[in-house]
Amino acid sequence: MTTTDTRPGLVGALRSSGSWIARYAFLAAFAALFVFFSVQATSFLSGSNLLNALQGSMILLLIALALTLVISSGGIDLSAGTALDFGAWFAIAAMATYGLPWPLAVLCALAGGALVGSVNAFLIVTLGVTPFLATLGTFFIGRSLQQIGTGGGANINYRDAPEGFRALTSGSTLFIPNEVLLVGIVLVVFYLYLQRSKHGVRIEAMGLQDSAARTAGLRTRRYRAGIYIAAGVTCAVAGILLSSGLRIYTPMAGFSYLLDGIAAVFIGASMHPRARPNVLGTLAGVLFLSMLNNGLDLLGLDFNAKAALRGLVLLVALTLAFLIAKQARRTTAVRAAAIG
Amino acid sequence: MSTDTTTRPSAGPFATESTGARVLRFAIRRGPLILFAAVCVYLALASPFFLTQANILSSLEQTAPIAVVAFGLAIVVIGGGDDVVSGGIDLSLPASAALATVILSDQLTNRGAGLPQAFLLALLAALVVGLVNAVLVTVVGLSAILATLATYVAVVGVTRVVSENRRIDVTDPAILYIRDEELLGLPVAVWIMLLVFAVVAFLVHRTRYGMNLQATGGNLDAARSAGIRTTRIVASTFVLASVAAAVAGVLLVARGSGSSPGIDERLLVDMMLATFIGAAFSPRNVVNVLGAMLGATFVALLSNGLVLTRVNNSWIDGWKGVLILIVVAAAALQHRERK
Repeated sequence: MTTTDTRPGLVGALRSSGSWIARYAFLAAFAALFVFFSVQATSFLSGSNLLNALQGSMILLLIALALTLVISSGGIDLSAGTALDFGAWFAIAAMATYGLPWPLAVLCALAGGALVGSVNAFLIVTLGVTPFLATLGTFFIGRSLQQIGTGGGANINYRDAPEGFRALTSGSTLFIPNEVLLVGIVLVVFYLYLQRSKHGVRIEAMGLQDSAARTAGLRTRRYRAGIYIAAGVTCAVAGILLSSGLRIYTPMAGFSYLLDGIAAVFIGASMHPRARPNVLGTLAGVLFLSMLNNGLDLLGLDFNAKAALRGLVLLVALTLAFLIAKQARRTTAVRAAAIG
Repeated sequence: MSTDTTTRPSAGPFATESTGARVLRFAIRRGPLILFAAVCVYLALASPFFLTQANILSSLEQTAPIAVVAFGLAIVVIGGGDDVVSGGIDLSLPASAALATVILSDQLTNRGAGLPQAFLLALLAALVVGLVNAVLVTVVGLSAILATLATYVAVVGVTRVVSENRRIDVTDPAILYIRDEELLGLPVAVWIMLLVFAVVAFLVHRTRYGMNLQATGGNLDAARSAGIRTTRIVASTFVLASVAAAVAGVLLVARGSGSSPGIDERLLVDMMLATFIGAAFSPRNVVNVLGAMLGATFVALLSNGLVLTRVNNSWIDGWKGVLILIVVAAAALQHRERK
């Protein structure tokens, strides 16, 4: 049989329907969980709760987008939380300690993220250290710097932050919360760059086989350096939003977003026909994790039980979705073979 | 042309190199180990206590559980390959080890069980996690990093439910024996670490299974074409690693005289550090068992030495990060020079 996915007619249609099921099986699990929470927790479906949940997932979404970029290039960024911390720290410190106006503080925060990203880029591109170790090293150094800078890890409070800075998270434009609007723009930029431009194809080529991409004439070093710096800046934006919402800087708060961010990227990758990280998949992963958190909160469970249930639901949802997807792929392949 | 270099296959460009260049090349090639030694010499000069036998043994004792988990991770990475997206990794090992500590402590203290029975139960729990990972990766087809991240979250949650997020003290004589006693001059915990090392190193480097394992990790398709049952091999790595996690659980209970909530996060970072820095000590820059051992030892001596030389607590992580990066960068440069 020499049928391929692109073959027109019945065979092609069957195949593509199979891959369609395979692709959206996880979304079905998503929908099922959504219905479950709507029935079990009455306040889950209310507009304000859904909006809160959406707003609450914006920081995770930024981290996950940064990780999507890095992971599609074949790397990993364990210092994503550190870049977030530096963003939050530089923003708050610039205003509270140095009395800078808030737009300048935002620039400082972005520079902080770029700094973390540049250190990673230097280690990975210039010295050739593996991304795992390079970013783990940056994570250690960043943690230490935060401890030194805050006298052992004390919070920096800035309750009377300027209105403009606070409006980044509390205000809204055209009925859309500013936070959602801002992250939405970042999301669109990431989507256009990674999924709809030649750069995205190039970055994926680097991720699949770096040496081949280099032989084909790609300036992989330049791309890779840019990727880590862009990831750092994106995480710093998350830090700005975090500090704008809380008006407080807590050292080393970023690490807690790292594992969820990685999970979101790989949930998204698993929805892709070739299992590659992609922006829309990451979005689905982030929304799924946020819904899970929000729903379990509303069920009023014990803190420890919630932690256990969260992991178990994630496991079961992934397993079911993937078994269905696999089955769908197999049956359509058999049917296509029989017809073709 | 000097004659002594003509026998080298790559003699061409180096035929006229000076002694200085040769020394430099040697330094780059052996860079990581030389730096490791240099750091130890510095710490020994800075603190006279550093090189005493008691201190070295106690830091080895501290690192034993990390090393044992790192051996487990090394098996998974060797069998799965070290690609970030599709390669082998097991993030759930620290969670399994933490679950094992809770089961052990609960059995020994609250239920009056002996160590063998408690260990069997802990091993059983860890094996269940390992099997779930194996099924998720080989049958369901999830990438290892996602599957084990999900089981990590689930197992940490289950551990919290079982322990009610409280510390459990252990005064069982067998655990105290592992904590306090020495055999032939080495602490019992270090013996256990060396035993696990010997078993794992033998398995990976001296058996048919080990050869198949390395072939599978090196190139999955080629290994499958060669007739290796790669699915079974990959599945087995997660199960073997979970056994290591259970053993590490015993060492953790001994080290901490019981189980404490929240040890998994620290262990996760330490385990990855030990395993992946271990690659820096290998000639081909790949993860391996001896490397995991050296990596764990290096990190332990570094932390201990920095404390002894009275470095400010806040600076320790920073120095640790810098020194680790220097060693790893040396390894990367060495690797590049070979190519």
